Amino acid sequence: MQTITIVYTIMFFFGIYFLLIFLILYSRNRKDIYSYPPADKDYSLSIIIPCYNEEKNIGATIESLLNSDYKNLKKIIIVDDCSKDNSYKIIKEYAKKNPKILAVQTPKNTGNAAGAKNYGVQFVKTELIGFSDSDSFPNPDAISKMIGYFDNPKVAAVTSRVLVKNSKNFLERFQDFDYAVIAWGRKILDFIDSVYVTNGPLSIYRTKVFIDSGCFDEKNLTEDIEITWNLLSKGYKTKMSYSSIVYTIVPDNLKQWVNQRIRWNLGGLQTLNKYKKFCFKGKNAFGYFVLSYVGLAFFLALVGFFLLFRWVFLKIYFYLWTMPFLIKGYNPFEFLKFNFLTSILFIFSTSFLILSLVYYLLILKDTNLKSKGIITIIVYTFIYRPLYIIPLLGAIYRIHKKDLRWYTK
Amino acid sequence: MVYQIIKNYPRFRVFLDSLIITILILIIGFFIGYYIEYLRTNSIVENYKNFEISALDLKLQNYYYQIMDDASCKQAIEQNFIFADNIYKTGLDLERYENVNELTKDILLEKKRYVLLKTELWLNSILLKKKCNNPFHTVVYVYTQKTDTKKDAEQGAISNVLKKIKEENGNKIILIPIAGDLGLDAVEMQMQIYNVTYFPSVIIDEKIVLKGFQKLEEIEKYVK
Repeated sequence: MQTITIVYTIMFFFGIYFLLIFLILYSRNRKDIYSYPPADKDYSLSIIIPCYNEEKNIGATIESLLNSDYKNLKKIIIVDDCSKDNSYKIIKEYAKKNPKILAVQTPKNTGNAAGAKNYGVQFVKTELIGFSDSDSFPNPDAISKMIGYFDNPKVAAVTSRVLVKNSKNFLERFQDFDYAVIAWGRKILDFIDSVYVTNGPLSIYRTKVFIDSGCFDEKNLTEDIEITWNLLSKGYKTKMSYSSIVYTIVPDNLKQWVNQRIRWNLGGLQTLNKYKKFCFKGKNAFGYFVLSYVGLAFFLALVGFFLLFRWVFLKIYFYLWTMPFLIKGYNPFEFLKFNFLTSILFIFSTSFLILSLVYYLLILKDTNLKSKGIITIIVYTFIYRPLYIIPLLGAIYRIHKKDLRWYTK
Repeated sequence: MVYQIIKNYPRFRVFLDSLIITILILIIGFFIGYYIEYLRTNSIVENYKNFEISALDLKLQNYYYQIMDDASCKQAIEQNFIFADNIYKTGLDLERYENVNELTKDILLEKKRYVLLKTELWLNSILLKKKCNNPFHTVVYVYTQKTDTKKDAEQGAISNVLKKIKEENGNKIILIPIAGDLGLDAVEMQMQIYNVTYFPSVIIDEKIVLKGFQKLEEIEKYVK
């Protein structure tokens, strides 16, 4: 067997293995996807919203939190991170009208969401502390469907399902599907206590545990991943309520999308590096699954990219060599003929594609997306997903350049 | 430790279950792939056996035609063409299989046998042409087995051109592709006779040797 065949086989092994984990977990827990535990106690709650140059959205975010049906939501603390627009003015006006709202401002711009969030923690006096983004809009029942998980003392954090508010152009529509895929996968991992991100748009933490754990890491570009791993590494559980829906605004152009995803990748790699010492250690799924799963996801994405790059490179290189013959009048389409014969890799890739198709069809079944056709899955799989490599390479480049700035907005 | 976790928390059994199913899928895929490749190689071997008989038959017919008069030429040429076309088509399959077979590489051995058979066909065709006053053209395409991207592009282009010429002039041309560097003495002797120093080359009617890629019109000029 050639080396390249062995590399492809290893790739398919991990691809099929991870897909099967998700599919088996789904089949065993499908009745519980939407369920959430009812709360025995009305925990007091404060929500912190970091805000930087969000004059367009902050009002709607505050309104959606004020519409929450959770009765014990004591405070909505909006931390303005020295915005250059009218954000702080808008926040103060809301605060004047509603005593539940507290408007505060950081002494100077912190440069990242974690800084503003941590600044707001000092004003919290409730049992639970929640965070939402200034361009996110939780459904009225989102919070109340998360609270019940805290009856289990081992649970330190609960997160929600993030969906896309703006899904008009191509990129937004596929982010809509992407977010649905991410949320579904995260819920499936909840069944093995492996929720490894408590997202920015809406997550709630046990205040004491959150503060004792050192709050958000301001040096990390994805503080929501970092805090989750921090809690998991201490033996706490993190849960996800699939019925708690929060809508968020996603990038509407490729440049913003790439910047956002570079940040996600950078933060992911930073977190992986910080917690690598827990690999195959401890007594929960964190050391044995989450770390290796996320680490392998990065590694396999890179190997996948190099395999794709190798294939494209060889094709281009081949066509370059054919140029002299094309000049001599040779029909270029003769070179494009595809040798379609069943091989071992064809069987592996077909198995992988069938499992992926089942995976995506199950996700579509559990979501309310506008586009639910097979074309969506095909375009998502073969056009949108390969784009993931751009921010991953961008992140690696920025690590190489030691550039860890927050680029969004 | 992993065993302890799975034992104490049954929901983590999913890791083991998925692993077993994954290994099963890969093993089944491996065996199906191996079986398909085996069937392909087998079909080539089977075809070869039949061709071997046809080649022997042709050889005997040739002896006969050389002893007897020219009246039987038509039948002999017909038989030669049928044999040449079949062996050419199987040769194309062989090339395709060779490119995708990941597990069974015995195909190279089959290729050597085919090259010898094709060389025999070539010699047979030369004899037939002499006996029957050159009623057809022989186009022998000599290529290399040791390729790089540049060679692949050149050989891909020229074999497509020859394929087209064969399609257009089916009953006038016997096209015989031969790998010239498989270490077979009979083939190397032919290369020396016709002074083939470059792969790919095209030998037309044992007189003209064209080196490298040639336009369709250039080759057609000699076979019209």
